[in-house]
Amino acid sequence: MDFRWDIVWAYRALFLNGIWLTILLTVVGVAFGLILGLLFGLGKISKYKLLSMPSILYITFFRGTPLYVQILLIHFAVIPSIFGESKGPVFSGMVALSLNSGAYIAEIFRAGIQSIGKGQMEAARSLGLTHGQAMAHIILPQAFKRMIPPLGNEFIALLKDSSLLAAISAPELANASRIIQGSTLRPWEAYFPAAVLYLILTLILSRIVHGLERRFSNEGRTS
Amino acid sequence: MRGTRALFPLLILFLAMGLILSACGSKTAAPNEGGSPSAGQTDANGTTSDQGTAKKKYIVGSDAAYAPFESVAPNGEIVGLDIDFVKKLAEVGGFEVEVKNIAWDPLFEAVKNGEVDFAASAITITDERKQTYDFTDPYFVANQLILVPEGSDVTKFEDLKTKRVAVQNSTTGHEAVKKLLGATSPQIKPFESTPLAIQDMLINGSDAVVADNAVVMEFVKQNPDKKLKIIEDPTFEKEYYGLLVKKGNQELLDTLNAAIKKLKENGGLKEIFGQDLK
Repeated sequence: MDFRWDIVWAYRALFLNGIWLTILLTVVGVAFGLILGLLFGLGKISKYKLLSMPSILYITFFRGTPLYVQILLIHFAVIPSIFGESKGPVFSGMVALSLNSGAYIAEIFRAGIQSIGKGQMEAARSLGLTHGQAMAHIILPQAFKRMIPPLGNEFIALLKDSSLLAAISAPELANASRIIQGSTLRPWEAYFPAAVLYLILTLILSRIVHGLERRFSNEGRTS
Repeated sequence: MRGTRALFPLLILFLAMGLILSACGSKTAAPNEGGSPSAGQTDANGTTSDQGTAKKKYIVGSDAAYAPFESVAPNGEIVGLDIDFVKKLAEVGGFEVEVKNIAWDPLFEAVKNGEVDFAASAITITDERKQTYDFTDPYFVANQLILVPEGSDVTKFEDLKTKRVAVQNSTTGHEAVKKLLGATSPQIKPFESTPLAIQDMLINGSDAVVADNAVVMEFVKQNPDKKLKIIEDPTFEKEYYGLLVKKGNQELLDTLNAAIKKLKENGGLKEIFGQDLK
């Protein structure tokens, strides 16, 4: 197997641009995923059908269908029918990743909240806090600590899943490989660097998550 | 009590909706497509109205993963026969072009929704595609070739009946193979690109590839060590490449056809593609 580093080097700009967009897509997906996840996670455990039903539907759909299919649907059907035109693959990609991660994060929130003993809520309420106050000040902070490891998993999965956006030609890392493979007709030089780059990105991300985990657990111990 | 409790989550819901919508709005202007400044004014009909007497500028979509027709050079520039061709067209037609790289499947959608004004991407003119799009006059004749490993017993298209055939998804090669093996035959392996289809055959995932002549020949030229055999079959119909234009955009169609005509007459077409097309 002759591996030509000169090809990889020659196409470095394409890889670099791909990395930046991959990071941007992941950050956006995580940010909106967290917002959606909190909303729909709370929605799902709500006693009110009006809130819980839409949440359950949303979570079921986005967890129960492949992201690849969601991306194609959102890019080719949903966005054009809402805006009347395509907003570009990057926009569709951000929407798809956010909605998808939102559904998974909602389940992480739900599980985190439900893992906090009932007594915590009862105690908070008996101190005169409203349900919302108790949730915001007592339950969520405790739940969040437990949610960090699964959230970390979700972020890493999201980073790798952003590669599926190559299907709608969002110029991220996997798409860079696709273009290089099609232009040089060589698969190794196109996909091997991408694998290494994804690995580096996920390693960095897992270090960050690990750091967060440690910080929050120390805080819990000292106070 | 009940009232406030029900209000709280509802409030967040609305707040978040607002947040998402406003973020969506601002994101449309985000870095995105590598910047096509004057494309901003392109309207649904693909006519760009630049200020003053500046030339009209068209955004051209191309799936630049299809050497030698369109590929990406190491410096990031989109190059290839089709690109040379549209640049020549712009020259004789008195307009400007900017090429945008869009993957094959979304490319058709991009023409339809006006993201690009037209597509130049080795697109074969077919009746099926004509129902949804308009094509310019043809500018290149292509025919399908069968690519097999040197020792293969395949000698003609019919022989593929018992073989696993790799193709590029939704290309004319794919169509031809579908006619032979049945539209949903599990023997057909559609790939995202022709080079990938060929790679699949090289690792013995399939027995043959059916694809456009220029790409097959380019691959064999680039990979002399791979021991491959090209088979021509006269039963393949000749195919004609055209530029893909949004249905009903007569003005652009006329502009492009006039330019193609000029290139045919002055020999520019032969200069680029090495073949005459009358």
